[in-house]
Amino acid sequence: MTQIAVGTHKGAYVVEGSGHHWSVEGPLFPGWKVTTFGRAPDGTHLAAVGSNWFGVGIHTSADFHEWEQTDTPPAWPEGEGRKMDQVWSIHDDGARLWSGVSEAGLFTSDDQGRTWAPVAGLNEHPTRSEWTPGFGGLCAHRILTAGQQAWVGISAVGVFRSDDGARTWNLKNDGVPPVGVAEDAPRPEVGYCVHGLAQDPEHPQRIWRQDHAGVFRTDDGGDTWERIENGLPSGFGFVMWRDDGSARLFCIPLASDENRVPIGGELRAYSSDDDGESWAVAGSGWSEAPQYTAVLRGAFDGDNRGMFCFGTTGGKLWLTPDNGGSWQELAPSFPRIDAIRLLS
Amino acid sequence: MTVKVRLPRILTQAVRDGLRHELTGGDVGQVLDRLFEAEPGLRNHLIDEDGQIRTHVLVFVDGERADLQTPVPEGGEVQVLQAVSGG
Repeated sequence: MTQIAVGTHKGAYVVEGSGHHWSVEGPLFPGWKVTTFGRAPDGTHLAAVGSNWFGVGIHTSADFHEWEQTDTPPAWPEGEGRKMDQVWSIHDDGARLWSGVSEAGLFTSDDQGRTWAPVAGLNEHPTRSEWTPGFGGLCAHRILTAGQQAWVGISAVGVFRSDDGARTWNLKNDGVPPVGVAEDAPRPEVGYCVHGLAQDPEHPQRIWRQDHAGVFRTDDGGDTWERIENGLPSGFGFVMWRDDGSARLFCIPLASDENRVPIGGELRAYSSDDDGESWAVAGSGWSEAPQYTAVLRGAFDGDNRGMFCFGTTGGKLWLTPDNGGSWQELAPSFPRIDAIRLLS
Repeated sequence: MTVKVRLPRILTQAVRDGLRHELTGGDVGQVLDRLFEAEPGLRNHLIDEDGQIRTHVLVFVDGERADLQTPVPEGGEVQVLQAVSGG
């Protein structure tokens, strides 16, 4: 039995079943955008919600059915001019939770998500006055950690790395083109629009990057990036996922910046078994009918045992039980999907 | 002074003690402060980073549009509504 949590623009749902038989529970948090899910070190489930009217919230649950809102989600101090628009990601490093938010910033929690503290070294970075938003806002959305090192992706600013337990941070974008800058202009310090990041946990200096400007890999923790798009129909997209069990990479290309749908409506995951040196359509089962829909960075999840699921902006779920060999579109439809979490 | 407070249904999962409260306070700001003491998770949803009622949140006192400084009479009702924002 597979259980999938689906975070949408109108509540969350739990989809459960197998084969062609799927039931839907929900909506959880009716009327709220459910922007990301998380899991605390003690196993507590977290769901981040947002509302254009009522701001953000964090809910916790032991069983994914009974939820309680925490009193203190990540928040910017009153009177300092920053607005808390959305909680984009919740990352568990094994001992501590990290949250990336917009307006861009990083927060940590040492009490399973009940309270959050700002990461001043990043949030007050000397370049902050130069940070500018991407289409999705000025958002910190991808977080990686390995020991005393941490990486965070901020759109449209770039990838930052800390080597000292998040006290200080440096931009790490060499090799990636900036966005919105003339080709012959001096290379800016900020202005790099990272979309997705994935890391090899056994070799954490190896990171894959789905960027606004293409697909890249680093072998030195981000000091240098090289383009890796052999076999991809486009370098644009949001998803970068690595199945740690098989070392297989996945991405889902979209046509371009200005045309954020699959080329020709051919919605396909692409996979790589050689660390991104080459890519090909992952498996079979894809729709013959055009699918002009996108997959966002938080809407792809896997269990590292060959089960993957992604959700589309058109509200459909796609599932593979065999490491991307065969894909199935599930029958239920949902509002625009922002977040996916495989529960079992 | 005892006043009544009514909250919109979308905040159901943000409260511990329901959407209707009886509180004290001479103006909307004081009433909301009492509300946040009872329901600390609500402050973030009703007050923005400038310390003001959120842009798309409407507060009424006995049916009249109000702000944080609006007086609330004994037995009056403070109602919080979600603005009709959008199409």
